[in-house]
Amino acid sequence: MGGYLISATQIHIEAILLLGLSSLVLIVLFILRGRKGPRPSMRQVPAFQDLRDETGRAAESGGALHIALGSGELYGEDAMTSLASLQVVESLADEAVSYSAPPVITVGALTLLPLAQDILRRAYERSGRPEAYDPGKVRFVAPSPVAYAAGAANTISSENITASMTVGSFGPEASLITNAGSRHDLPQLAGLADPRAISALYPTTDRLAMGEELYTGGAQMTGERRYLVGLVAQDILRIVVALLVVFMAALVLLGAY
Amino acid sequence: MSHLVKRWIPTLIAIVSGLVTLGGYLIQNPALVYFRVHLVEWAVIVSGFAFFLGLLNILRVHGRQIVRRRQGWFYSMTLLFAILLGLLPTVLSALPSLPASVPSQEEVDHVVFDFIISPLGGSLAALLVFTLTLGAFRLLRVRRSIGAVFFLLIVVVILLGSVPIVGLERLAGARDWIINVPGMAGMRGLLLGVALGTVITALRVFLASERPHSEF
Repeated sequence: MGGYLISATQIHIEAILLLGLSSLVLIVLFILRGRKGPRPSMRQVPAFQDLRDETGRAAESGGALHIALGSGELYGEDAMTSLASLQVVESLADEAVSYSAPPVITVGALTLLPLAQDILRRAYERSGRPEAYDPGKVRFVAPSPVAYAAGAANTISSENITASMTVGSFGPEASLITNAGSRHDLPQLAGLADPRAISALYPTTDRLAMGEELYTGGAQMTGERRYLVGLVAQDILRIVVALLVVFMAALVLLGAY
Repeated sequence: MSHLVKRWIPTLIAIVSGLVTLGGYLIQNPALVYFRVHLVEWAVIVSGFAFFLGLLNILRVHGRQIVRRRQGWFYSMTLLFAILLGLLPTVLSALPSLPASVPSQEEVDHVVFDFIISPLGGSLAALLVFTLTLGAFRLLRVRRSIGAVFFLLIVVVILLGSVPIVGLERLAGARDWIINVPGMAGMRGLLLGVALGTVITALRVFLASERPHSEF
């Protein structure tokens, strides 16, 4: 029993405090705003707003939207970024399936493949046409990020793609994908968290969702309360963290810390 | 019953596994660490199955390309041929009486990685320099804004400041200042936002608000 006792020095107090505070904020917001009350408002992120229009354009022109989900596995440090990119696919799937214009999705992480396929399959089931589902619309390209980007770029070049969305865990190699899109004059949208990828894609994308904006995809595209509440919690926590940073900086300046 | 199996059991498993794994990282309790290590090992095993699914997906997509003779079908055939070639040493090593002249799986792996995959990866990475430069020029063409000019100006200062040319020492100083002061501040702000987004997404999974694993 003694071995199972917790020593205070073995606990990451700061992390537990941050997670505790975040959970508290999120739970309170879910209780107060989860089902009723005024709908939380949000800032529009053009990258996700335009994605819906591009889905419609793809359907009209008989082409397809390309969505690159990146190389972030679901068991690594990029798991939440990949989950956020899956939210984008989920938000888009029903509409794309109703237009009979499913997106071509390329993945560079093996664990993303079954989840992305499942999202598309469920959208077809909800639309009452499960037989129309084609698992080949979700493609695993390569496990190495650079090889994946080169393969995804080839998908853009060789298929009837009308617009490209690069969303998820990428490094600077994502510029291979956007460069292929630029060569074909395609509208380019992106949602990225890695600063190296952001700086690489800034010149080549029309609309870029940077950093925390990536996690707003679900809320931006569906407007569902469960996503909006998460955004409000994120905003509250950002203010708390910013105040803490200023407070700590002031303490350091005054020599009290 | 179906509702329970498809909806709540996967959610419950995900929440409990997530909380135990997170607990194992935050609190160095032997029991929590034991479960965390095992759950992460299971995740690796499950991802092994995903590898098999990935292989099937590649065979399906590229097999279809070849059968329908679509654009680039020759590259698809090359890919499938390379996969088969890669499998060959493993299959041969399983044979009971292998002639000594046949190279071992380790030797073939070394040749493939050192002389094919590494150089190809390096070449592709080198290609990035050109795509980035091309992107920067394209920026001037399609987006003539103050932000674009500012972006390119900083790129030029950073590049020239990184080159050891006599007379450009001031640019090296400017480069260091850009990287260490505004660059670092912007990067930290961006990463703080990403960290908060990550925390909220993870908590939404724990609170069953985000359910990528269940049928609803």
